[in-house]
Amino acid sequence: MSVVAHEAKESAWRGRELRIGPLVLTLPAVLGLVVFFLAPLAAFILYSFLTAGLFSVSGPLTLDAYRQAVSSGVNGTLAVNSFIVGICAASVTLVVSLPIAYWLRYAAGRWQTLVLFLITSTLFASYLVRIYAWRSILGENGLLNSGLERLGLIEEPLSFLLYNRFSVTVALVHIFLPYVVLVLYAGLRPLTPALLESAEDLGANAWKRWRRVILPLIAAPGATAFLFVFVLSAADYVTPQFLGGTNGAMLGIRIQAAMTGVGDWPLGAALSLLMLGAFVFCYGLTALGLRLLRLDRIRFVN
Amino acid sequence: MDARQRSPFTLAVTLVALVFLFVPLLLVVLFSFHKTGGLSFPFTGFSLRWYRDTFGSFEFREALKNSAIVAVSVSVVTLILGTLAAYGISRATSRLRAPIGLLFFLPITLPGLFIGIAMLVSFRRVDFQLSLATVAIAHFVYVFPFFLLIAKAALDRLDPALEEAASDLGASPLKVFRKVTLPQVWPILVGATSLAFALSFDEFIITFFVIGSDSTLPMYIWSSLRRTIDPSINVISTMLMLITLLLWVIAFAFTLRAGRGRARPVDPILGGEQT
Repeated sequence: MSVVAHEAKESAWRGRELRIGPLVLTLPAVLGLVVFFLAPLAAFILYSFLTAGLFSVSGPLTLDAYRQAVSSGVNGTLAVNSFIVGICAASVTLVVSLPIAYWLRYAAGRWQTLVLFLITSTLFASYLVRIYAWRSILGENGLLNSGLERLGLIEEPLSFLLYNRFSVTVALVHIFLPYVVLVLYAGLRPLTPALLESAEDLGANAWKRWRRVILPLIAAPGATAFLFVFVLSAADYVTPQFLGGTNGAMLGIRIQAAMTGVGDWPLGAALSLLMLGAFVFCYGLTALGLRLLRLDRIRFVN
Repeated sequence: MDARQRSPFTLAVTLVALVFLFVPLLLVVLFSFHKTGGLSFPFTGFSLRWYRDTFGSFEFREALKNSAIVAVSVSVVTLILGTLAAYGISRATSRLRAPIGLLFFLPITLPGLFIGIAMLVSFRRVDFQLSLATVAIAHFVYVFPFFLLIAKAALDRLDPALEEAASDLGASPLKVFRKVTLPQVWPILVGATSLAFALSFDEFIITFFVIGSDSTLPMYIWSSLRRTIDPSINVISTMLMLITLLLWVIAFAFTLRAGRGRARPVDPILGGEQT
């Protein structure tokens, strides 16, 4: 928008005596989010510093819940599991999404709209249905084992398929893959097929095109997508509950149990905030990494 | 000018990924038509008995009704508040624009688990009875950022000269919005509203904490998952996917429609112009 147009618009609003201007229109939504999102979040933070009753809390302010959260060895194991599953799910999703996004952008041709539609349509397959589907596929009497047995490829059902970190990761990759493909595809949009071809014509081989043209373009969206999958996977409490067994149990299950089962709200709140702190640390680390590698300000001018 | 490349490796990965994405979902649909109660191969034949069973179940109809009530209320509220907010923030020049934008975006960055339990303790604290109303409030917080992002992107792309011209010719801000802005963006708003509906209809992670004693379709699936598995879960899963898929097709079609009549076609999925 040009400066002149900008000023013209401003004066149009000012001419009608709307000093705060159009922002007044955001008021209902702001109120809604302050009351139903920020206030609960603040209350929740406060709760982590209180003492637990049964589904209730009482003062004075204390760090007991945090002490209890970090002193338990079980919580440590669950946190490690959450971390491993989060990293695996995010890495696999990213690595698989890259070639797909590339194909969609530069090689799909007339198939592009159809395949994009197909991939995004699976976004809308219910979260719980996916978990259920993977449980029925990977189980001892599941579709995979019964299929392999009928084909005579195995005699005994494979038991390592379900109730561990592997099965949790598979389901999470299934859930997040379409999102990440979309994010990377969007990242590649400024670089038109013709421009990529001109890089080739100017003598850049496949490796150089990848290293000097494509990677800088998708570093920021790729890192964002990685974090997104990592955070949502590590904080999941439903997938590990149904697919994790004991090997794949994660911290989210413990938080959920503290909130609804045991009724120890300060512990649940303290565990959540510790986890949130770890996530914020990861956000910061990624932002710093991108900045150090000078990948945070790539601007592509067509 | 077809600058299309040949890339067998990326094509192979895409095909494998499509199989990986679709096979589990299609198996659920296939087994919803299974003649017997078996949930694994061999598949012995087709029948609609599980569909009859499911639709005959009072619990299922109740859950379906509740899900619809919540999703409709959430979509209507999100459409109104979201459109106002997107228009306000897209046209604002005030310094408050950045913090408000951050507030609108924040719920997306938090995992549902945290939003759910924060709401649970707060509703309990003020003795607000958990019900479908609390579910709808929670869903609004969850879907609002998605709606806002799409609506704001559409509004930001409009040519400001049109609104300015109308305004200079004496149209009130409301009239400018109704006669100039809305006709250009309404298909995107319809698309974003169906996305809000679909997200609400399928939400489980937050819902679990704020629902009280009612049931929704995802809650119903969740409780079936914990019981012994009964093939009707395939039917319910298929129904749930069908409804959300239908809404996605609507959203997709309306976004495509928004792109017609422009010099360059609009990308149906990401919005913006295709290059």
